[in-house]
Amino acid sequence: MNSASVEASNLSKAFGQKQVLQGMSFGVSPGDVIGVLGKNGAGKTTLLELMLGFTAPTAGAIRVFGHESHRLPGAIKARVGFVPQQDELLDQLTVADQLRVIASFYSHWDSALIERLCGEWGVNVNARIKSMSVGERQKLSILLAFGHKPELLILDEPVASLDPIARRQFLEQLLTISTDGQRAIVFSSHIVSDIERLANRIWILKDGKLDWQGDLDSLKESIVRLHIRGTGAELPQFRIPGVLNVRRDGAFATAVVRDWTSEAQAALEKDAAVQVEVEMLGLEEIFVELHK
Amino acid sequence: MFILNPQSGIPIYRQILEQVRRMVASGQLPPGTALPSVRDLALRHTINPMTISRAYSILETEGLLERNRGRPMTVASQAKNHSQLPKRLQQIGPLVEQTVVAAKQLQLTEAELVKTVRREWEQNDE
Repeated sequence: MNSASVEASNLSKAFGQKQVLQGMSFGVSPGDVIGVLGKNGAGKTTLLELMLGFTAPTAGAIRVFGHESHRLPGAIKARVGFVPQQDELLDQLTVADQLRVIASFYSHWDSALIERLCGEWGVNVNARIKSMSVGERQKLSILLAFGHKPELLILDEPVASLDPIARRQFLEQLLTISTDGQRAIVFSSHIVSDIERLANRIWILKDGKLDWQGDLDSLKESIVRLHIRGTGAELPQFRIPGVLNVRRDGAFATAVVRDWTSEAQAALEKDAAVQVEVEMLGLEEIFVELHK
Repeated sequence: MFILNPQSGIPIYRQILEQVRRMVASGQLPPGTALPSVRDLALRHTINPMTISRAYSILETEGLLERNRGRPMTVASQAKNHSQLPKRLQQIGPLVEQTVVAAKQLQLTEAELVKTVRREWEQNDE
């Protein structure tokens, strides 16, 4: 029995000549909330689609609950939920009809939960879908992915059209889902502050590769900005492992590094005879620094 | 109970560590005080529960908190060791250092700084 929700090794995907993802290895465990960050075109949607089995890898492997993702048996598929970037609602239906259609696919649909959330989120079940705003449609497609209580919930930019209040309600619901420790959530978003609240792990995609993966806490501890001060008028030469950029200005310098540790600090202060002050960065700034 | 800022560069587990250590050291959280559950804190602040568990586990290892079966975590009875003066002074050390560095950059004298601190101290008492 395999306890991992998702396991990928050396996962690669090309569309024709275009290499979209390259050599990604990662795991997702129950209880994880993984925030996927990347510029537009970094490969986030392709990665999520590989996880969902919408497309097969060109090389490497990805397994969901122990099965190859593009050959998932129906019973395994029923354990996965997905909120796509572009909703797939049926315009001619009412909300209640659409909910009924989706519910009919699942034996364990939680209609009480969905009824309650419709009320809390202000989704009118009698509304016709074609008359709904983008934000209302987004709320509904999120609800459609919650009702069967998936063990793996995958969300591709689920909140781009929601106002801050609706986003907060959505985050609270995701947290409620994740606090039982049995479910895994993978979600991509450009709203970094949401990821900062919700995620315990972060994947940063850059040029089709996983540039950084790990705990959000460790990310904030290892990518930091250093303020370096020498004793004389000119700062001595120094070398810092894992440096992303340095700006020197007379006796001062600032540097952003990606593998910071207290040992690295001690070594730098001793070898170069400088004083180092560490500034910790928020996730948005870390993301920007990794893309400079 | 906690002031938590997810957007800060300081990881949330560290924010919790610092605040619990400070409140235990100062006696604001006397031994036996129950802490909010991980789930409650996560939902109240809308933050990931794992970073909270991590803080609680570290505080347990340090001997500041006690895990109780089926009940909330509590401030450990031995935690009063931590409230000895040198420990508390050690905790405020970095803040004092920063203040002194800033005061020197502003070319304030020692007496001026001490006076300012005293004024702030008295205002805070009111």
